[in-house]
Amino acid sequence: MTESFYDVMRRQGITRRSFLKFCTLTASALGLGPAFVPRIAEAMETKPRIPVLWLHGLECTCCSESFIRSAHPLAKDVVLSMISLDYDDTLMASAGQQAEAIIEETIDKYKGNYIVAVEGNPPLNEDGMYCIVGGKPFVEQLRHASEHAKAIISWGSCASHGCVQAAHPNPTRATPVHKVITDKPIIKVPGCPPIAEVMTAVVTYILTFERFPELDRQGRPKMFYSQRIHDKCYRRPHFDAGQFVEHWDDDSARKGYCLYKMGCKGPTTYNACSTIRWNAGTSFPIQSGHGCIGCSEEGFWDKGSFYDRLTTINQFGIESNADRVGMTAAGVVGAATAAHLAVSAIKRAQHKGDEK
Amino acid sequence: MSVNETPNGFTLDDSGRRVVVDPVTRIEGHMRCEVNVDEDNVIRNAVSTGTMWRGLEVILKGRDPRDAWAFTQRICGVCSGTHALTSVRAVEDALGIQIPENANSIRNIMQLTLQAHDHLVHFYHLHALDWVNPVNALKADPKATSALQKQVSPRHPKSSPGYFRDVQNRIKRFVESGQLGPFKNGYWSNPAYRLPPEADLMAVTHYLEALDFQKEIMKIRAILGGKDPHPNWLVGGVPCPINVDGTGSVGGLNMVNLNQISGIIDATRTFINDVYIPDLLAIAGIYKDWLYGGGISGMNVLSYGDIPDHANDYSAANLMMPRGAILDGNLKEVHEVDLRNPDEIQEQVPHSWYSYPDGVKGLHPWDGITEPDYQLGPNTKGSRTHIEQIDEHAKYSWIKAPRWRGHAMEVGPLARYVIGYAQGHEAITEQIDFVLKTLDVPVTALFSTLGRTAARGLEAQWAADQMRYFMDKLLANLKAGDSATANVDNWEQSTWPREAKGVGFTEAPRGALGHWLHIRDTKIANYQCVVPTTWNGSPRDAEGNIGAFEAALMNTKVERAEEPVEILRTLHSFDPCLACSTH
Amino acid sequence: MSSESHISHSEPAVYVYEAPLRLWHWINALAITLLALTGYFIASPFPTLPGEASDHFLMGYLRFTHFSAGYILAIGLLFRLYWAVMGNAHARQLFLPPLFSGRFWDGVWHEIKWYAFVAREPRKYEGHNPLATLSMHFLFLWSVIFMIVTGFALYGEGTGMDSWQFQWFSAWVIPLFGQSQDVHTWHHLVMWVLVCFIIVHVYVAIREDIMSRQSMISTMISGWRMFKDNRRVDTDAE
Ligand code: HEM
Ligand code: HEM
Ligand code: NFV
Ligand code: SF4
Ligand code: SF4
Ligand code: F3S
Ligand SMILES: [Mg+2]
Repeated sequence: MTESFYDVMRRQGITRRSFLKFCTLTASALGLGPAFVPRIAEAMETKPRIPVLWLHGLECTCCSESFIRSAHPLAKDVVLSMISLDYDDTLMASAGQQAEAIIEETIDKYKGNYIVAVEGNPPLNEDGMYCIVGGKPFVEQLRHASEHAKAIISWGSCASHGCVQAAHPNPTRATPVHKVITDKPIIKVPGCPPIAEVMTAVVTYILTFERFPELDRQGRPKMFYSQRIHDKCYRRPHFDAGQFVEHWDDDSARKGYCLYKMGCKGPTTYNACSTIRWNAGTSFPIQSGHGCIGCSEEGFWDKGSFYDRLTTINQFGIESNADRVGMTAAGVVGAATAAHLAVSAIKRAQHKGDEK
Repeated sequence: MSVNETPNGFTLDDSGRRVVVDPVTRIEGHMRCEVNVDEDNVIRNAVSTGTMWRGLEVILKGRDPRDAWAFTQRICGVCSGTHALTSVRAVEDALGIQIPENANSIRNIMQLTLQAHDHLVHFYHLHALDWVNPVNALKADPKATSALQKQVSPRHPKSSPGYFRDVQNRIKRFVESGQLGPFKNGYWSNPAYRLPPEADLMAVTHYLEALDFQKEIMKIRAILGGKDPHPNWLVGGVPCPINVDGTGSVGGLNMVNLNQISGIIDATRTFINDVYIPDLLAIAGIYKDWLYGGGISGMNVLSYGDIPDHANDYSAANLMMPRGAILDGNLKEVHEVDLRNPDEIQEQVPHSWYSYPDGVKGLHPWDGITEPDYQLGPNTKGSRTHIEQIDEHAKYSWIKAPRWRGHAMEVGPLARYVIGYAQGHEAITEQIDFVLKTLDVPVTALFSTLGRTAARGLEAQWAADQMRYFMDKLLANLKAGDSATANVDNWEQSTWPREAKGVGFTEAPRGALGHWLHIRDTKIANYQCVVPTTWNGSPRDAEGNIGAFEAALMNTKVERAEEPVEILRTLHSFDPCLACSTH
Repeated sequence: MSSESHISHSEPAVYVYEAPLRLWHWINALAITLLALTGYFIASPFPTLPGEASDHFLMGYLRFTHFSAGYILAIGLLFRLYWAVMGNAHARQLFLPPLFSGRFWDGVWHEIKWYAFVAREPRKYEGHNPLATLSMHFLFLWSVIFMIVTGFALYGEGTGMDSWQFQWFSAWVIPLFGQSQDVHTWHHLVMWVLVCFIIVHVYVAIREDIMSRQSMISTMISGWRMFKDNRRVDTDAE
């Protein structure tokens, strides 16, 4: 999908001779003897690993932590054999200006052929200075690196939706990536964090099939985000039967009944937890007794308590939910109707009296 | 240009060349560091800046306290869970909730699992490249590497020459591809790297082995909390019910899961004992004369303590991780620490990008205020959005400056180990004595960059042992017929008082962590976190005391000022977490 | 009483609601009742049932009933639309309130006065009175359309991304509201709008039957509007 490094150099008018000279320099820079030159040249003439710039904005790094938990493929194999992780401030050896220089080098060498993976998001308040990289607002780095990228991967709920730092009142105006970068294909891989194997699968899908996975309307790969937790939850028979956990650690909890009444957001959450599960298929939230909190959904942080089945509605500073609003309204209407009925009856009685 | 003495004993001289490292990499989050070096390349002034802020304390206001763990947990995905545990403890403290014994054991297993995992990953994947040169590993003789491996850790089975040759070939192919990925632009020709090629190859091999292994450890937390990072927690206990023999036992923690946890605990202990500790000692042995980076570790250290043996007792005597404070290097006296005392823990902001109504005075976290205020000092070079050089005489960091009785304190594994050593904590004393003897160094060697790194390794080892202890305890309690995991007496908001305040604490991998909250009318009225990296990464305070990072960098000689490997070494020895520090 | 009524002749009875409309009304009323009841208990289920999951299907039946009634409601509305074209003039009233007619608003105003016990007598209509038309159009018709659209969007989540329900509804409705949970919330809220409508509607139907100048409930059963006096019939359009 990318042209090789050699191709790029040729395109830029560099002769084969200077190309070989470059290889010699590379070899000596790495402390390798001249014997390595032909092999470096050979590698560069063949297909390069696709360069990835993994940028970090306002985040908690749980997406990276999740990534390294991948069992199939191992994170090690992704980094050593599949992609070229040129920039990732949590893992890279270099720091400071040498680290920043890599972004420029990658842009120069691989214009249009590298991927920007974003973990976290840019804050826009205070001129972006709630997240500073190299003395400048992160949003600048994001825009700059994205400009010549082939595509962008938005890792996790931060990059895809904003996550907890975007929760009300979002003091830093943390903004999801697609609201800042509007002219590039963006693959959203939401979840807080996303499942490790889902992350590596997205990467390997791109490499294996040399195309981007099919996305839904919200830009998420359909292969992992087209069904709700609830659709494939192993506790679903208890839901259908009407068997629920009513309290933490009650008999129903010990029997593994449905967590709907404990606020489980499985019915409204698109993710692969109930099928792929977590940590190499070890478990997932519901399996370990806690409801889904909807961590891969837009705005999961501002819908009221995670333990309420009904969403909290905040209007005019009053906290409520659909039933409380509705029952109050119905109560008022009912009472008004009853009052109207009473007045009507009285009037009618008087009227009858009049007629007599 | 100025020279001045800080009250905590450092001479700051900013006359020399200013060196800027931004971003500081291989840490969690965003950080900047500036130092001045004199003509001998010795650091004479150090400035550390936290360069991110998300405002979780502001965001938490008005929310349901039972949800707070999920928000605070997302302060950090690296020490994932420690904020959540701190949070549920704070809420339980406020509402007077007692948790069942099993919940205490399970929480401890989760917290200890984090300690073991976080330390291991830090050592290999964030810190190792400060000491280990992967490019140099290409020159190693696999046979000699195999011999070295058998010598430093005879029990580790992956030690054949063929094994090391395979790894070496893999690295070779990788390097020859010309795409060095994360190893690109490293300082591989810097003479600060001292390991022989065989040691480099062994360490690089274990970098990869550890990367594969670490994910196994966290399966424990997936079983108990449903996933990792960011497992689930519960005010009043733990969300995972236990059902070892009744109907539908597949719905809770059952014999299969318990066995799986047991197996992982044993494998973790083996890996730490046979790989991590031997590597640590081998590397430390070669660098043992590089004794920079002590900072304030030999003077002021602080720990809240953690890992309550029995449920609901947070007194020092019941905490298996040491609690206390040491001042001015006086190991003979360990002070008591009271998180509720308004005069002990306070946060200041004169050099932080926040404002207090009364600018200078420190505030106890129960009275804490988080009001962002980004402004640069007059001596800043560059502009508001293009900082070339920061002005440390004004506000210069998103990190607040916490102080204990007015002192800047170091927290973390080394602080805990120094306090434990001073208190005569049995396991800790034994571990420290073993290391000092093996490396043949005096106890003062602890107060250094390497000492910090060593303490972390020892703590990982200790944590893995305690995981076994609590697993056995859990099983014994189940055998005795107690399988309760949650107390729901105060779950309903109707049972809560109108006003309540509480504090919760843990010893996070990076040090002492506390959450203070007020509950009013069932909602969070105020929430303040004072976090390990807030302590260590603290900017200067009103009196001019420098924080632990800055102090540790002072007086270090660097080989090449433009290749900041020594700065990275010392900063990394704290395992900085910036998302945590500013939250 | 102001009397701008211009229809000069009056009859004791007029055939207003043809059979299909009446049939629809009662099926529709039944469907909505079922939908509201089952919907409420989907959101706040009954206490847990003992025994094996395979012994019960309570939520399953509730949901099945909800969805069946949902289909009936939706198909009924389609049919009602068809009938609005095919049926008599009264069949179109629900869909086309004459919002630009002064006479209509005058009628609304009079009706409000009548309910506020200010007017001594209601006017006399063959079809719905203007206030009824207004509330039926806005509170009932649009709410029901909203419920069908959001209901099918939720339903499509279960039938999957490849189903027509998903493609026609879920695919755009869910992102429009933000996420699935918000669709649930709105679907739930608008149920209460309908509940309020029904309370008033049933009360008014009975009240008018007794107190107005024409028959009501029997009209929705037999189709025939009986008048209690021989004065002129009012009309709401110009
Ligand atoms: C779920 C419950 C109900 C709903 C949603 C409902 C809805 C409607 C609607 C939309 C119309 C207008 C029909 C049209 O123009 O096509 C209507 C008319 C009518 N409904 Fe209902 N209805 C319900 C229950 C009832 C009940 C229980 C009664 C009897 C007590 C009733 C009595 C009537 C009458 C008498 C009319 C004719 C009103 C008139 O001519 O102005 N409805 N209803
Ligand atoms: C007057 C009409 C309707 C009423 C009053 C009604 C009421 C409700 C209520 C109260 C809920 C629970 C919402 C929550 O999660 O809080 C619900 C859920 C639902 N409704 Fe309706 N609904 C109506 C029409 C429909 C229609 C036409 C459909 C389409 C088939 C439909 C499909 C659904 C579905 C799929 C759910 C979600 C069920 C689940 O979560 O298991 N509804 N409805
Ligand atoms: N500092 C810090 Fe943490 C830790 N350990 C939390 O409390 O890393 Ni993210
Ligand atoms: S999406 Fe969630 S997990 Fe990922 S960085 Fe953001 S807060 Fe952490
Ligand atoms: S536990 Fe949650 S996802 Fe599973 S069936 Fe119940 S409501 Fe659905
Ligand atoms: S909380 Fe998140 S991890 Fe999965 S089960 Fe729910 S989407
Ligand atoms: Mg704080």
